[in-house]
Amino acid sequence: MKKLLLVMLVALVAVAAMAQVEPEYRIDPYEGKPGGTLFLGSIGTGPRTFNPFVAQETSSTDITDLMHQSMFNSDNTGMPTIPALATEWWFSEDGRTVYFRVRQGLKWSDGHPFTIEDVRWTFEDLYFVNEFTRNGNATYKDAQGFLPEVEVDGNVISFTWTEPNVWSFRAIGWGQIMPKHVLDEYVQAGNPIEAWTLADWDKIVGMGPFMIESFTEGVRTVMRKNPHYWIFDEAGNRLPYLERINYEVVGSQDVLLLKFEAGEIDIMGPRAADWPRIVEQAEEKGWVYGVGGPGLGSDFITFNLGHPDPVKRSWFRNVHFRRAIQYMMDKESIIDTLFNGLGTAIYGPVSPSSGFFNPEILEAFPYRYSITRARLELRRGGFDWDAQGRLIDSDGNRVEFDLSTNAGNITRETIAAILVDGAAKLGMKINYAPADFNLLVGKLLTPDYDAILIGLTGSVDPGSGWNVWRIDGGLHSFNYPPEYNPDVIDPDIYEAFDWEKRIHEIFVRSVGEVDEQARWDLFAEFQMIVAEYQPYVYTITQNYLYVHKDSVHLANPHPNPAAGTLWQIHGIWKD
Amino acid sequence: MLRYIARRLILAIPVLFGISILAFMIISLAPGDFIDNFRMNPSISREKIESLEREFGFDKPVIVQYFLWLGQVLRGNFGYSFSYHVPVFSLIWGRLGATLLLSITALIFSWGIAIPLGIYSALHQYSFSDQAFSFIAFIGISIPNFFFALLWLFMAARTGWFPIGGIISLDFHELSFFGKIGDYLWHVVGPMVTLGTAGLAGLMRQMRGQLLDQLRQDYVLFARAKGMPEKVVIYKHALRNAINPIVTFFGFALSGLLGGAVLTETVFNWPGMGRLVIDALQQQDLFLVMASLLLSSLLLIVGNLSADLLLAWVDPRIRYRFG
Repeated sequence: MKKLLLVMLVALVAVAAMAQVEPEYRIDPYEGKPGGTLFLGSIGTGPRTFNPFVAQETSSTDITDLMHQSMFNSDNTGMPTIPALATEWWFSEDGRTVYFRVRQGLKWSDGHPFTIEDVRWTFEDLYFVNEFTRNGNATYKDAQGFLPEVEVDGNVISFTWTEPNVWSFRAIGWGQIMPKHVLDEYVQAGNPIEAWTLADWDKIVGMGPFMIESFTEGVRTVMRKNPHYWIFDEAGNRLPYLERINYEVVGSQDVLLLKFEAGEIDIMGPRAADWPRIVEQAEEKGWVYGVGGPGLGSDFITFNLGHPDPVKRSWFRNVHFRRAIQYMMDKESIIDTLFNGLGTAIYGPVSPSSGFFNPEILEAFPYRYSITRARLELRRGGFDWDAQGRLIDSDGNRVEFDLSTNAGNITRETIAAILVDGAAKLGMKINYAPADFNLLVGKLLTPDYDAILIGLTGSVDPGSGWNVWRIDGGLHSFNYPPEYNPDVIDPDIYEAFDWEKRIHEIFVRSVGEVDEQARWDLFAEFQMIVAEYQPYVYTITQNYLYVHKDSVHLANPHPNPAAGTLWQIHGIWKD
Repeated sequence: MLRYIARRLILAIPVLFGISILAFMIISLAPGDFIDNFRMNPSISREKIESLEREFGFDKPVIVQYFLWLGQVLRGNFGYSFSYHVPVFSLIWGRLGATLLLSITALIFSWGIAIPLGIYSALHQYSFSDQAFSFIAFIGISIPNFFFALLWLFMAARTGWFPIGGIISLDFHELSFFGKIGDYLWHVVGPMVTLGTAGLAGLMRQMRGQLLDQLRQDYVLFARAKGMPEKVVIYKHALRNAINPIVTFFGFALSGLLGGAVLTETVFNWPGMGRLVIDALQQQDLFLVMASLLLSSLLLIVGNLSADLLLAWVDPRIRYRFG
């Protein structure tokens, strides 16, 4: 009888132990020392909201990104390869379904259990509703415009589209998971956009490494380590190593530099203009500094290929004309003037820092600065010069057009000035007038312009540019189809080019291309087409610069634009 | 007296009303709107842009937008900031303290120095000290504020005597009550001197010129001839007449309390209203701009009124008809 009782007891204990899920923590190979405060500066007026699906500018997302986690993280080339809240993910045979295995037994920063229901709720009830987030739900839809079916099976969640959909898979993997137990009341009330304003800084719950400890609007945000964080080092320390992060609001780069020099800030990204000053002091003050690759975004010139004036339209549509513009731009002198030589000439929509960059475009289309080459291209395009050396087209019209950029952006204004200079050497007249940003956007999107110099935020994955490159995209500003704005674009004038249609096709197909190499090849072809036809004439970008105190040990061995100094922040430690 | 004040305040209502129409129309007519930043985001679809336009009410005619806004304002709701998602006045109140701390100390600084120096210069016209004060004051007015602020910060970083911008220290929350006040004052010195020196010269020259004018008047000659003590001649008679335009000046200074320091605020990381409003203007955060404009207009009206009342108090010849 006693024996039987004992056996039953043992069995009971065993069952209880099995029901208690072993937390699936992640172990990272860092060897740091816990403790300390990291001092950082945020340029501008500080965060505007703590709501991650409302926040638009980096002063807000710098903070919210620390408080939340997604199913996978990027490695230090910006590729989504590191398991985070999901331990693994895979596609079904037909590629229409993607599965994520979600970690079990983890806790939110407030100690509430984190479950797969939080993941399902985050997507199905929050991110998939167009009105509930500032960016809308377009990234989650497949090419047919359908949102995925979501299914939960044990610790695996699956998303099924009507056709393979890599782009949305990535968006889901990057999506920050939100706590249902905190935000569901907002979702039920239909106003999640009003959740987590600045006044709610102490109510935020997340899976990220740091949470807000105190916040003074316009002054600073102090963050403290999440006591329930789910990543450990090999020695068994619960990460992050840092006890606190102090984000100080700093009005300008000048003051940030002064503060860094005075030792009040630990890590900063200096301007190229300040670089010599940094290098000069580095040894004496014990700073570590470095140059990463070229930045991900780039400024480019867009020409209005659907211009209502037939003369201008014929120039802008002439590929030789656009190539000539590419040739006549003295990028090296722009880089020297603007960035102390710490910049890179860019010839396509994908930055050389991205894993998707196709180096072959540089050999196939070596657009080096050359006025002679530019003249040659113009001659090939049917242009000529009159007796005074002024450029004229085949009908004898003098080549003269307007160029605008947003006033106050020194980089763009300098590029424009050098462009005007280069054009003068070719006998081309560019009437340059900077304009207010809002005015410029209005002109670009109407469209009502000759040429505009502007930039867009870049990212590692070229797929993020769908809104620019698809013919039906809202930012397809060089050649909008008539359906975009029937009041302005005359269907008789409109012409879709073969290369343009091919790019459109690449973007549509890349969404469904599950095979990584095939997808890479598609984007390689895309870069080749852009290099050949120059729908946008790309200019330059600044290289990624960073400097930090030697007492700070970064987790990223080579900070770069795709993964900066704060990459894997839970692995950063201080002496 | 009270009736006069009441009448002036009632007259202020149509003025504010007019200001609000003008401001709203001008901001709305300016090209672009708050959604432009979303339009330039490669990952936001056109459908979302259209739904944002509906959400913010930009799809309606400007007149309709204005009256919708006015209706809410009359019910005491000044609207939400587009980018912060909080009621505009909660933002403005949050920043009002810092702004007032800076502008009032700067006001005291510049007036406290300019008036005595102006009087001194007038009494010692063309002396070495008169020239020296004018010289220093003109240096103050000719150095641009942002540059002066940067020089100050550079000095602060090198010497450690003053903080490099900001309004409170890192350990502010652990300080005692008096420690906190001291901390504020320590931080306000830089921006205060920057702002104060810029206004110094104008005020000082004004004071000097006014007093010199009065000293050349016949009544001063007469008083001196009568054998009146010099102190009484200057302070009781000449100065009282000379101060008149300065008091009017003061009324204007009041209206500048809220928005007069954008550049200084930016360089010094001062979390004041100036930066908030400039940011809002650039982003076309409509309701935030409107609220701050109305508040500034209100201050201008109150400033003018108090200047008029001060004038009546200073100058016995001025009598307002209270009917």
